[in-house]
Amino acid sequence: MSRRLIVLLLTMLVLVGAMSLKTVVITHGDGSVIMANGSAPVPPVPWKNGSAPVPPVPWKNGSAPVPPVPWK
Amino acid sequence: MPGPINWIIWLVGTLLEGSVVVFALKTNSLRRYLFLNLYMGLSFLVSVGRLEILIRWGYTSLEYAYFYFYSDALLTLGLYFALLNLYSLVFDEMKVERYLRLAAVVLLGGTAWFSYAVINQSSHRLLSHFAFELSQNLYFVGLVLTYVLWGAILKLRETRTRLIQLVLALGIYFSAFAADYALRNLYPNLQPVFQYLTSMLAWILPAAWAYAFLRVNDEARLEPSRLAAVSR
Repeated sequence: MSRRLIVLLLTMLVLVGAMSLKTVVITHGDGSVIMANGSAPVPPVPWKNGSAPVPPVPWKNGSAPVPPVPWK
Repeated sequence: MPGPINWIIWLVGTLLEGSVVVFALKTNSLRRYLFLNLYMGLSFLVSVGRLEILIRWGYTSLEYAYFYFYSDALLTLGLYFALLNLYSLVFDEMKVERYLRLAAVVLLGGTAWFSYAVINQSSHRLLSHFAFELSQNLYFVGLVLTYVLWGAILKLRETRTRLIQLVLALGIYFSAFAADYALRNLYPNLQPVFQYLTSMLAWILPAAWAYAFLRVNDEARLEPSRLAAVSR
């Protein structure tokens, strides 16, 4: 195997390892900023709330038609 | 608005970032550690820019939030190149610059692609969210790369004291943020403490690098303590 392919393989391993680690950490975290450069106070993330599609309510009881959510 | 303690922490952090570049200039190390110093110089400028925006628009303004997260992505990119600078110094005698460049481009491209793939599923503010996601993903790539570099330093029995100090400081910096994040999630009721602690963690890297440039000579070597003792 050429050295270039070995480098690519190692790079992919690092990438997969890092992203897996991130996924594990984020899954168990509160969604806040993990790392920030500098000592400046971290502002609240402006796009955190609001634009995600509203999921269907999982605890629907009965068979009556569901009205549209009034506060969407 | 941030309280007086936040302002003091911020001021000390900014001064430490500036001092790294000053000490590197003083000891003629600017060119050898170019990307490290570029990162610290950029951090200093960004800190001043954030202060300007914060004073003009306020802490809860969108202007401050966007400036903060865009500049943070830029700085994380700078930190990534600083780390690659350390890689090239560790492996300089092996003549593998070509392969390091290839790995750096593939890794950065892969991280950018992964970030885009994630936000493409969930956000309509693509550019803003991409900058934030890329910054956080590069942090994890940097974390893994630093530990790999430390393993290489041990394996190659590196003895250059300043280089070891620079890499170790980076490892402690990344690890401290990871530990801080874990503790923040374990003890969410201690938020008043963590708001100061998290900001103070940013001192670690500039303080350690400033010390390395000021006090540790570039020619200094660690004692060869790992020599094998052969019985006669």
